[in-house]
Amino acid sequence: MKKIIFLFAALAATTTLSAQNYFTRDGKVKLDATSSTSPEKIEALTKTASCVLDASTGKIQWAVLLKSFKFEQALMEEHFNENYVESNKFPKATFAGQITNLSEVNLAKDGAYNAVVSGKMTLHGVTKDISANGAVTVSGGKIRINAGFSLILPDYGITIPSLVSDKVTRDARIMVDASLEPMK
Amino acid sequence: MKKILIAFLILIAAGAGVGYYLWNKPHVNLTNAKSDIAVDAKTLLEEYQQNETASNEKYFDKVIAVKGNVAEVMNDEGTVKVSLETGDPNGFVVRCELSATAPHARTEFAVGEPVQFKGTCSGLNFDVQLDNCVEVR
Repeated sequence: MKKIIFLFAALAATTTLSAQNYFTRDGKVKLDATSSTSPEKIEALTKTASCVLDASTGKIQWAVLLKSFKFEQALMEEHFNENYVESNKFPKATFAGQITNLSEVNLAKDGAYNAVVSGKMTLHGVTKDISANGAVTVSGGKIRINAGFSLILPDYGITIPSLVSDKVTRDARIMVDASLEPMK
Repeated sequence: MKKILIAFLILIAAGAGVGYYLWNKPHVNLTNAKSDIAVDAKTLLEEYQQNETASNEKYFDKVIAVKGNVAEVMNDEGTVKVSLETGDPNGFVVRCELSATAPHARTEFAVGEPVQFKGTCSGLNFDVQLDNCVEVR
């Protein structure tokens, strides 16, 4: 009996020890602000978003350097940085939140899960509550996260000049894709 | 009257030309750019870790020439990212993302090799991130 208790205790100890953070610095974040009437695509991509996930609590954090977003058109990239997100004043956009249905997402077991994440998004010096649905795929010790959501740009103090309102939507679509590995 | 018309046409053509140029403005190409500041990877990361705001004032969006030894090279779906060693205990580095549009003499680097890149500083995200990088040879 004592042995069994000891075994249980040992097991519990190792489980706690193995509960750890997952991390990437190569997360992809795509921004699409193309309005339905725009002749050209207003899209940007960064491949250097960071994401940290605490597998035991479901706490998740993202950060992206706005200056790292690449547009096809250099002029759009310049306007994005200088007139819209003002990256010199606010270099980073961050999200700090929580997987709210962690009981349905077994991060320790291979499989595909639907996750609901909610938390605080900070962009352009403004913080707002947001939530998003995403797909979490656990495979061979790695955790892949895919999610999409909308950001209403004026909510973050980013105004779209009426001159370009037929091209740039107020309601930007954000897509994230990250493959996290155990943090060393 | 004719003169006014011609002047007007020239103005329109010039305006269209400027518009066309701006619209097709090329991406940043640092090949021949002079760097604003030269620094080594270890110092750059340490300065950022000590004071991010002050470091952004000093480095953000400037052309930085950074020296270091290659820690890792990654080709992420066509985007080449070269990490430079900093000696940081948590393994954070200076990351140089090579320009997608500027020409490169090479895009492969050996781990441990001393290199220097010019790039624009985008800030701190665990690592210090430089974009639009070209190798200084």
